[in-house]
Amino acid sequence: MNREFWSAFASNRGAVIGLVFLVLIIIVAASAHLIYPVSPWSMGNPPFQPPLAGGPFLGTDTLGRDVAAGVVHGARVSLLIGLVSSLAALLIGVTLGAVAGYFGGWVDDAIMRFTELFQTIPNFVLAVVLVAIFTPSIGSLVAAIAIVSWPPLARLTRGEFLSLRSREFVLAAVTTGQSTPHIILREILPNSLSPIIVAASLTVATAILLESALSFLGLGDPNVMSWGYQIGAARTVIRQAWWMSFFPGIAILITVLAINLVGEGLNDALNPKLARKGRG
Amino acid sequence: MAWLSLFLVRRLLKAAGILFVIVLINFALIRAAPGDPATVMAGEAGAGDAEYVERLRERFGLNEPLHTQMFVYVTNVFQGDLGFSYRQNQPVMGLILERLPATLLLTVTAFVFALAMGILLGTLAAANVGRWSDTAITTLALISYATPLFWLGLMLILLFSVQLGWLPSFGYESTGRDYEGLARALDVGRHLVLPVLTLGLFYMAVYTRLARSSILEVHEMDFVKTARSKGVSERNVMVRHILRNALLPVITFAGFQAGHLIGGSILVETVFAWPGIGRLAFDALIQRDYQVLLGVFVVTSVLVLAFNIVTDLIYTLIDPRIEVS
Amino acid sequence: MAAPVVELSGLSVALPAGAERPLAVEDVSFTVEAGEILCVVGESGSGKSMIAHAIMGLLPAPHVRVSGGQARLQGEDLLAMSPRRQRAVRGTGMGMIFQEPMTSLNPLMRVGDQIDETLRLHTPLSPRERVERVIELLDDVGLPNPRELRRSYPFSLSGGQRQRVMIAIALAVEPALLIADEPTTALDVTTQKQILDLIAAMQKRSGMGVIFITHDFGVVAEIADSVAVMQDGRCVEYGSAEQVLNKPRHAYTRELIRAVPHDIIYRPDFDPGAEPGILQAEGVRKVFHVGGGMFRKGRELVAADDVSLDIHRGETVGVVGESGSGKSTLGRCIVGLHRADGGQILFRDHDLARLSRRQFRPIRRHVQMVFQDPYASLNPRYRVADIIAQGPVAFGTPRAEARARAEELLELVGLDASAARRYPHQFSGGQRQRISIARALALDPDLLIADEPVSALDVSVQTQVLRLLDEIRRRLGLAMLFITHDLRVAAQVCDRIAVMKEGRIVELGTCREVFGAPKHEYTRTLLDAIPGKDWEIRPETWDDPDPDTPAR
Repeated sequence: MNREFWSAFASNRGAVIGLVFLVLIIIVAASAHLIYPVSPWSMGNPPFQPPLAGGPFLGTDTLGRDVAAGVVHGARVSLLIGLVSSLAALLIGVTLGAVAGYFGGWVDDAIMRFTELFQTIPNFVLAVVLVAIFTPSIGSLVAAIAIVSWPPLARLTRGEFLSLRSREFVLAAVTTGQSTPHIILREILPNSLSPIIVAASLTVATAILLESALSFLGLGDPNVMSWGYQIGAARTVIRQAWWMSFFPGIAILITVLAINLVGEGLNDALNPKLARKGRG
Repeated sequence: MAWLSLFLVRRLLKAAGILFVIVLINFALIRAAPGDPATVMAGEAGAGDAEYVERLRERFGLNEPLHTQMFVYVTNVFQGDLGFSYRQNQPVMGLILERLPATLLLTVTAFVFALAMGILLGTLAAANVGRWSDTAITTLALISYATPLFWLGLMLILLFSVQLGWLPSFGYESTGRDYEGLARALDVGRHLVLPVLTLGLFYMAVYTRLARSSILEVHEMDFVKTARSKGVSERNVMVRHILRNALLPVITFAGFQAGHLIGGSILVETVFAWPGIGRLAFDALIQRDYQVLLGVFVVTSVLVLAFNIVTDLIYTLIDPRIEVS
Repeated sequence: MAAPVVELSGLSVALPAGAERPLAVEDVSFTVEAGEILCVVGESGSGKSMIAHAIMGLLPAPHVRVSGGQARLQGEDLLAMSPRRQRAVRGTGMGMIFQEPMTSLNPLMRVGDQIDETLRLHTPLSPRERVERVIELLDDVGLPNPRELRRSYPFSLSGGQRQRVMIAIALAVEPALLIADEPTTALDVTTQKQILDLIAAMQKRSGMGVIFITHDFGVVAEIADSVAVMQDGRCVEYGSAEQVLNKPRHAYTRELIRAVPHDIIYRPDFDPGAEPGILQAEGVRKVFHVGGGMFRKGRELVAADDVSLDIHRGETVGVVGESGSGKSTLGRCIVGLHRADGGQILFRDHDLARLSRRQFRPIRRHVQMVFQDPYASLNPRYRVADIIAQGPVAFGTPRAEARARAEELLELVGLDASAARRYPHQFSGGQRQRISIARALALDPDLLIADEPVSALDVSVQTQVLRLLDEIRRRLGLAMLFITHDLRVAAQVCDRIAVMKEGRIVELGTCREVFGAPKHEYTRTLLDAIPGKDWEIRPETWDDPDPDTPAR
């Protein structure tokens, strides 16, 4: 089964490239303090130094901070917030979707209305308002991103549960006297996991984009360096110093692209296999 | 057409219900913010002004019981009163209405651009699936899908304004030149190009991917085989049978997503100093002017609801299967 | 003499590398003359559909392609023509109808426009003449109110009506050849009968040739002039209908024909004795609410209405009906997947219709169910042992003991005990159905509900599973409720049969009564609709040994 998964995943060239990049980014993020032991906030250099001009590798920003150090340390925040907020969104979305899809009826109606409400509110505006009012911090960023990211996951899970709960193997579990938690957790959930995993991986990518946009607007955690903050701070000097915003932007682009590619690879590897398994 | 008015009434009632809850959330946000709600509403700017805080206290009846406060707040909003911006010394509603046309111009143009290009590219890719043009289009979509809006805007400025000098990099129109009529429209149009590209590219990518996969899916359906068995040419199979069925869900999805472009406009208007409500929201953010921020929140939600109703209506008119229900 | 309508010589169709076999169709030859109906018969995967698609030029290129041989339509080489000529021939020389009427029509196009499209492409008729022709065609295929109907969309038509529209499209320009690819498989028997009659009538009128693809020998007996039997891509027997049906020469043909339910041997009437039924259903009613939401009222759909029947220990009661008759609903009310809205279902001193889901749980072990789709009824993520043991484990049997018992049960249903360690996807459809039966037996039930247990299986496997069910019922002294749409199948295993229509039982009697002297009009319609009912299968008159069959 594992070999089958990997060969399907590896047959998607983009996915393999994405995975390689993602692993590299994770390694860089994990060893940021080794690569740049000095704080990324330290203003140890002359400001406005272009890249490869004798000073720091990628130049310095308006206050003389090392751009490369910022990019390396920023990777941590991006990945951390992207991952944690996606996990939180997954928890909310899968729970609500599973309950709505399995029980149906008025429970489903109520949960779906609630979901619809959150899909109506423009999610970026809501995230901005939430972070602004609860003051920017890693906690409020994660919460705000999770709150605006769960509805698609809830809908997806609900759809899966809705179609699986009338499948015959689930009915068979009912007639052989299995308890409701057993049916939800052991019969239906494992069989709906593949599309949820794929959607979750794309949620991580979107969450990273959201985090960078919030930080760009000055809503990042003031204590940690992030890519969005770097670009936001350099926005007004774009005419004089392109490098200050260019490199952090490239970092976001590559990270998000890598995650999306891996997501597509997962889709190729997980979903047809499920079909094959089901159909024999 | 009785069903149409019934449909509209039902849809409007539902929208009103959703709006009501959104306003409640708004109220809850003010209350949930750490610190005294009056100070929160006044923002850091007005925090020192005891008189203003007291006035707010009175206006919102902050000394009254909670449910009365809620009632007052909700009634105010539904009467079009979104509060007062101390910073700008103007009612919030007035501020927003003044900025709204610029935002609508930007988002609607970007939406039309994104949808038209998305459908075009998606169709091209699907028609040439597996060939180099498909690969090129899907790669472009993949990259656009991963590019942060605000950064793209900055890079476009760098390229088209700073390096090439082709297009203006900020504002709604040239200052100091009192263009009239067509000349003014052209001037605004030139200012519009980069913001629209910036806002539209991401959504174009979304619609391209969606259109491509939807067409490929419909391609496999039985009725397409029926059309072929009738001797319909490949071109007409595509146009008459595949596209109509494949693009209906794409357009519907796009319509329901249109509202989210307004969220993106906060970023784009910030980058391009576009005088719309997004820029207003950003300024409010910097100045901690929560009244304005929450006002923008309510108004954008109303816009999304309006977009959704229009989409629903179009969908109902296009898809014959809805008519009966 | 004119060239035959279709002439196939040595046709081969290649599959892409890595497929189950290199050739989907291998060296197939046959001819169809004007006015002839050729039936191409075979089980799933035999390549019969591929022949049709190859003739129509609809093979999914470039993966699947014709790799050899010739196909001629009225003397013209179909495989060598230009794409333009091919399209013209597709519209005028031959028409095709497909298996799934629900998905074969463009959902966003009016029915009349879909017929009109063919006319517009291939005839010089004016728009006004085309409208008249569309109406005439709709009338010809027996659709009511053709003038209004041509303006409606497919979603408002039933499956049978859609298939009639498909026939109208295929016959719009009176082609020389009609290809029908399992056109009645997705339809109920009575609708199937109507469509078969319609195809036969249209064929007689226009004198066209027909290639009719089917898996059902009953259908063959009903309409074929000649027959080609397909096995694994090869045509193993080809001859007149008379010869193939009554003097089959090839072993495979004989096997298929033997598997056709025939010669009902009525069992001795079941004697319940003085014991009351183990299950007594009285006036059961179930209503579904369709559509609607929090604020809107949906439609009401009465799925079962005033249904009464009882089942005794050791007895098999069949419930026969077409789709939507409420037969499955009845079964599901009894096993507690639905809760009946009215009436009572007495079983082991409980009224099942009154029990909540929680109260029902202790009773579940006594009523078990075997489901229809062997591919959907086993959780793909568990080993067979765990699937079978799940019931006993839920009722408190230690896991090791339940697993050991699972192996015994696998042997009881005719599988090897080693199957316990494998996953469902490693088994064939028939084997999975055996696993499904073992799971149902694991709880030692008194009553077994079998919901269409063989309708998803190939005929040759059907018989084996039916035999197994019957043997188990006898050995364990179970009561069984056997739900099916197929009267022929019901006749093989049931003591009594209840015929359901629109939620009600219209007739209930012993097999002998229902088949021999049907009382209700609807029962007679159902019996009459059984395809091939006038065909007598007499294996004892077949030549012996099989002259055509090479040693295999």
